Amino acid sequence: MSFRQPSVLPGFGLTFGFTTFFLSAIVLLPLAALALAAASLHWSDFVHVVLSPRALGSYRLSFGASFLAAAINLVFGLIIAWTLVRYEFPGRGLIDALIDMPFALPTAVSGIALTTVFAHNGWIGRYLEPWGVKVAYTWLGVTLALTLISMPFAVRAVQPALLEVQRDLEEAAETLGAGRIYVFRRIILPAVLPALLTGFTLAFARALGEYGSVIFIAGNLPMKTEITPLLIVIHLEEFDYQGAAALGVVMLGISFVVLLAINLLQAWGRRRHVRAAH
Amino acid sequence: MSITLDQVTKHYAGAPVVNDVSLDIGDGEFFVLLGPSGSGKSTLLRAIAGLSAVDHGRIALHGRDVTHVAARKRGVGLVFQNYALFRHMTVAENIEFALRVRHMRATARRQRRQELLRLVALEGMDQRLPAQLSGGQQQRVAVARALAHKPEVLLLDEPFGALDAKIREELRRTIRQVQRALGITTVLVTHDQEEAFAMADRIGVMNLGRLLEMGAPHDLYSRPATRFVATFLGAANLILARRTPDGIQMGANTVAAAERSPGVEEREVVAVVRPEEVEVAASRDALSSGYLASGVVAEVVFTGALESLRVRLENGVQAPLLAQPDGAAGASLLVTRTQHEQRGFEIHPGQSVAIGVRRVHVLPTPLSSFTACAASPALADALSRQPLLAELAVRMKTRIAMRAEPQLGVPEAACAADGPFVGTTALASQTDCAHQAEWLLRRGAQDLLVVPEHAAVPQRVLIHWMGEGARSATLAVSASVLRHLSAEAVYVGIFPEQSARARAQHGMRELLDARSEAQLAHGLEMRTELRFGDVAQELALRLAEAPAQMLIVGVTELTRFAERFSGLLDGGQWPMLIVYRGSP
Repeated sequence: MSFRQPSVLPGFGLTFGFTTFFLSAIVLLPLAALALAAASLHWSDFVHVVLSPRALGSYRLSFGASFLAAAINLVFGLIIAWTLVRYEFPGRGLIDALIDMPFALPTAVSGIALTTVFAHNGWIGRYLEPWGVKVAYTWLGVTLALTLISMPFAVRAVQPALLEVQRDLEEAAETLGAGRIYVFRRIILPAVLPALLTGFTLAFARALGEYGSVIFIAGNLPMKTEITPLLIVIHLEEFDYQGAAALGVVMLGISFVVLLAINLLQAWGRRRHVRAAH
Repeated sequence: MSITLDQVTKHYAGAPVVNDVSLDIGDGEFFVLLGPSGSGKSTLLRAIAGLSAVDHGRIALHGRDVTHVAARKRGVGLVFQNYALFRHMTVAENIEFALRVRHMRATARRQRRQELLRLVALEGMDQRLPAQLSGGQQQRVAVARALAHKPEVLLLDEPFGALDAKIREELRRTIRQVQRALGITTVLVTHDQEEAFAMADRIGVMNLGRLLEMGAPHDLYSRPATRFVATFLGAANLILARRTPDGIQMGANTVAAAERSPGVEEREVVAVVRPEEVEVAASRDALSSGYLASGVVAEVVFTGALESLRVRLENGVQAPLLAQPDGAAGASLLVTRTQHEQRGFEIHPGQSVAIGVRRVHVLPTPLSSFTACAASPALADALSRQPLLAELAVRMKTRIAMRAEPQLGVPEAACAADGPFVGTTALASQTDCAHQAEWLLRRGAQDLLVVPEHAAVPQRVLIHWMGEGARSATLAVSASVLRHLSAEAVYVGIFPEQSARARAQHGMRELLDARSEAQLAHGLEMRTELRFGDVAQELALRLAEAPAQMLIVGVTELTRFAERFSGLLDGGQWPMLIVYRGSP
């Protein structure tokens, strides 16, 4: 690799240095420390901690609910982005700003707010109660909280891609005889698919790491409504740093595999296009 | 007829972008919609394609009314300026799109695709992505795609806009060949007159949402009816001239006119002289055409095949010169000469030359120029600066002369200024305006425009005439005014109240007659309204209904004129154009 590459802004060497330093200090070193802490644990203890029924239950909830939340946001994020991009209506700017609210709100506040609304005597919860639907203190509540906090990622990822889908393309398809669903499936969706996947990935990653809002609405019953981040905190409160680190490493590993898989999927999709060209 | 448009109108934010366009396009015809940007030509094309709905009017394709039919069911092919190819699909997938939608079998699809690729000379490109093609190739794919489902009509929206000159030429030829081979009715939208000339069987020129003129390229070029078409289709010198029984008089000299019409009433007209119809020679005797004036060569530009000159006029026609092709001030003519002419008589800047005119075309417009008339030179000057009047003069590429009449409105007083009233006389609206108007009309003013101080450019023009003698003239004047405004035209028929029942049927017929005469004789599309009551009162009521309206009234007699019109004229808020044609 050469550090002399022509560019409008010079200084590849310097900026590359900053990039590696920053990534190391902020990302790589803490992760290494985590792995190191877990490594001081004996192998059998490590297995005992990470494969305990309670831990397995928490993985299932954490990854399951995060996946579900990201999937929900995939659909509704697209709809919201579509509405914001394609239609002019009074209050559009307001709604556009509202999307980012979950970003700004301390997550604990979101959790408390959701619990207030969805508890069995809450504004919405009291009407769901007679139908036998319990939201607060169940996996449903966890999914709801994760959906709320990961929504902006899905919307913001798709919005620019939708802006780029030119009206001409849809109009061209229309004059060629395509109906609305056909236009959506064959013209719009292929154009925004990479952005949709990105949005899904971001939302999923965000949901996986969420802690603050979930603990209020989840009820935190071991095996049932206990997410992995909470389990880690519980270990910490018992001064079991190594146990906490072990769980952290497992989460890290699974997250990495999932995110890598999605990225590879995207790259494969792009390559398929280029191949089709030859 | 392949495509029939009937009074198609489309408003955007209150203003008409397509204004009452009626049009018939024949089977297999190559029709070009030509106009500057913002003239409504693209909107009209989109309306034909079904991509934008019309506010009123009908659209029929091959005799089938499709006004409310969705774009996908109209059976048209549309080609966009930016190609609008599906970037994630290969050339083959793009072309087969319409066939796939129609569930055509794969083998049949492939066969049709090969056929189309051969037609646009892109064989073997099937598996490329659009991004791997040049602009010209992409547009060929777009044409093939638009033709795949064998549409009855092909629509092209500025298809060459993004291409460079060489490729443009090539693609033009391809499209013309394809169109001829398939015999498909085609509408092309462009702002490039050269392109229109090169491709069209027939051209329709649009401006301000209106279809101004239609015709074969050569007819439109040599015999335009409007200033806009004269200057938009190639360069033109517009000259204010006088029509006399002997011919067309420009300044002091009578230039032999092509349209010689003896026994005609003498009046001011707008003459079109194409740059190639101007002759320059060393002296008056050396001219082979009618002498116009002498001049000094101001500028010589070599443009390849032709030489372009700007000649400043020295005597005779300074004043009558109207607009310059490029809007430059000063009385100068644009001249183009062929290589052959250049060899015969070499010209350098600063040289004195004699100018002759080979061919003059007189526009049929009744509105030639404006004369701001007031009691004093200062008031006339102020009137000539009134925004609406100034705007009209700019749009009509004409001048505003001034005329002071100190005795204006004084009964029995004669005109102070010499000479007849020339062109359209303008008068400021004020308290005793009706008397002044009558005074001017009795002393020879024929078309009188009364402008209130704060009048704005109108969005609706109401048309009415009292007496059949004024009908034709009123329609001609209205058509001429409306060509320069993006306003809707409304003919208001008014009948006495007591006869409402008896006259209703007759009135209806009169309205329809008026509409078709306006359409056929003057190319003016107008809506019609029927009202009962006193003429001046009903007009005043109608004017009060909305802001930004203008009134054009034709009259044949001046008895009790001031009395009848004082309500409308004295201190009126609306611009009003009175067309007076007294019975001889």
